[in-house]
Amino acid sequence: MRDVVLQTIAKLIIPFIQLYGLYIIVHGHITPGGGFAGGSILASSFILYALAYDVGDGFRRMPRLAAKWLESMGGLMFVAIGLFALVQGGNYLTNFLGIGNPGTILSGGSIPLLTIAVGIKVASTIITLFYHLLEEKRHG
Amino acid sequence: MTHLPVLIIVFYLVLAFLTPLLGRIKRLNTGWLAIGGTLAGLIMAAVLAWHVAQNGPYSYFPGQWQAPIGIEVRVDALTVLMTLLNNGVGLMVMLFALRGVKNEIGEGLTVWYNTIFFLLMAALNGLAMSFDLFNVFVFTEIGTITACALVAIKPKRMCIRAALHYLILSTVGSGMILLAISLIYMVTGHLNMGFISGEIAGAFALYPLNIYVAMGLFIVGFGIKAALFPLHIWLPDAHSSAPAPSSALLSGLVVKIYIVVLGRLLFQMFGVGIFENIPVPDVLIFLAILGMLFGSISAMNQLEFKRMLAYSSVAQIGYIFLGLSLTTHEAMAGGLFHMVSHALTKSMLFLAAGAIYYKTGIKKTDELNGIGYQLPLVTAAVTVGAISMIGIPGTSGFVSKWMLAFGAFDAQRPLLVGVLLISSLLNATYYFPLISRAWFGHPRSSLRWDEPPRLMLLPIIVLMIGNLWFGIFPQTLRILVVQVASMWLP
Amino acid sequence: MVNQLMTNLHYLVAMILFIIGFHTMLTHSNLIKKVIGMNIMETGIFLLFISIGYVRGGSAPIINDSIASYVNPLPSALILTGIVVGVSLTAFSLSMILKIYHYYGTVDSDEIMKIKDAEE
Repeated sequence: MRDVVLQTIAKLIIPFIQLYGLYIIVHGHITPGGGFAGGSILASSFILYALAYDVGDGFRRMPRLAAKWLESMGGLMFVAIGLFALVQGGNYLTNFLGIGNPGTILSGGSIPLLTIAVGIKVASTIITLFYHLLEEKRHG
Repeated sequence: MTHLPVLIIVFYLVLAFLTPLLGRIKRLNTGWLAIGGTLAGLIMAAVLAWHVAQNGPYSYFPGQWQAPIGIEVRVDALTVLMTLLNNGVGLMVMLFALRGVKNEIGEGLTVWYNTIFFLLMAALNGLAMSFDLFNVFVFTEIGTITACALVAIKPKRMCIRAALHYLILSTVGSGMILLAISLIYMVTGHLNMGFISGEIAGAFALYPLNIYVAMGLFIVGFGIKAALFPLHIWLPDAHSSAPAPSSALLSGLVVKIYIVVLGRLLFQMFGVGIFENIPVPDVLIFLAILGMLFGSISAMNQLEFKRMLAYSSVAQIGYIFLGLSLTTHEAMAGGLFHMVSHALTKSMLFLAAGAIYYKTGIKKTDELNGIGYQLPLVTAAVTVGAISMIGIPGTSGFVSKWMLAFGAFDAQRPLLVGVLLISSLLNATYYFPLISRAWFGHPRSSLRWDEPPRLMLLPIIVLMIGNLWFGIFPQTLRILVVQVASMWLP
Repeated sequence: MVNQLMTNLHYLVAMILFIIGFHTMLTHSNLIKKVIGMNIMETGIFLLFISIGYVRGGSAPIINDSIASYVNPLPSALILTGIVVGVSLTAFSLSMILKIYHYYGTVDSDEIMKIKDAEE
């Protein structure tokens, strides 16, 4: 789809979409949203780039191998945080950081880390899904 | 040691995340990773069983948040039974799938097969031990998607169509389960099964309609996934067209765990006392009898071996539902014993069908003449499996039918013993010709085959020995199922 | 009667969406319309679950020292998970429908049944 209007608007708006997605991920323990919603928004910025410009160019910016690694790393990070709590002496997924002032970013213990892990995983999964559905069309 | 229940699920999840990365190393066959992982899971389940036998059942709270705020993971006799069954049968199926799945789906997809298998194991083990309604929903969804993926991974038209059918029907079931959870949350304000069981009597007095509708939706929702009689329509297509290890997993484990979760909901959450007002056991007995009869009648008409086994699964699941809904100790213990026996037997039959297809390419039952002389061990396993399905003494199928018959007498319904006999007879009408043709028939073609590879033969033999063991020495399993039955019926 | 209907309007609309979605799944023969019906049905269920948590006079569940009562945040958190499950199911079924289109050349389930019966 090589439309001038679409390409110009996409070039302007993709950074704001990514910033908004990161904002929702990082504030996941204070405001509604969290990992799932923020990850989807982050993935949609990549998909907008691939759709507005050439699909091959979009694939080169985020190769399939990188998406596969990010997916596995996101899941393993979540499990690692849970198991780290086991090492510290509590049950699985117990809080091991302090609880700060409620309402600031550095509150909520280990929940912001878990939200970031989920956000990375969801974003890379949606990009992988997009790749698979497009490849079906290419290979007929 | 007390962290073991959650560690089993986390271990399978970690393996599921690592397998796609390790699959890129060309010289490593991820099948060995699958076998090692399932063996470790079985050892963990055995250690958990020993711990529960020493110290009794306990609850585990992830995050150290106590019950109504946090999630509860309950470890009792039922958890021990289901985790041992899941990991044991999973290990046997993965031993088969190391060699036996490549010819059905191709070389490149085995990495993804093992990944989906690990996720399915995590979901099955999680369902066995979760005591919180939303945890049940999430693990149910993981189980649904991975089970459909195990069917759809084979790139043939029949498989994709059967998997889509299974997925759409299962999604309707999941929607109904979520609706039922929201209705229960509306009137009791809790999602933890223990707390709900305390509040149910009060909620039923104030809002009976919610409880009626929630119970009906739970039975239909889990009934679609557990193949209760009129909701079993997806089962023949999905189980017969899937690759052989997938059929063994689906028919042996996936269908059973939803029956167990439904039992936990009906007996531990709602409580037996509510059945005086809502006639759920009568409805379930009726549907179970219809399932037993129609499953066997449909199986008689089938020309393909795996399709016949799939319809036979519908009939056997009717037995399990019959045992669970005659609310006496002996009948429930018989139903759960039959669940274990059917899991071992049906997986062995599906793996044997896969081994026969691997060596000879035969799918139809009338081409199986004389195969006993060329593949004697596989045919011996099929014979033991068929005898166990019919219920001849010496096999575990006989012990479970014996317990079901005594349970029917305890519940003052002696006519059900007649129904059990009729359905055993119907089972015999399609299993006996198969066995007699396999041993005494004349082969149609003149090709000569020999036994399947040892790695594929080993799980079939081990499952056959397990079946015979529980038929001749049923005491240990009987103690376990009677303990579960007395936990459900105080 | 009308008063009771007006206070429980959320539940009524959620059930109407559920029935519309279920009806679409049952009657339309196009496979993609079945997937759309599945999504509408799930939307109805999510609406029912979220509207349980509404507290009359409560504000959004973001903690602030000057607010007395909040809306129940538990259903929203649970339904986020439910929505992600719905998205995964939709993605999975759409990829399977793509494969079916590749094999059969049509997305209409009646035609697929005819082709299946003709080839057996």
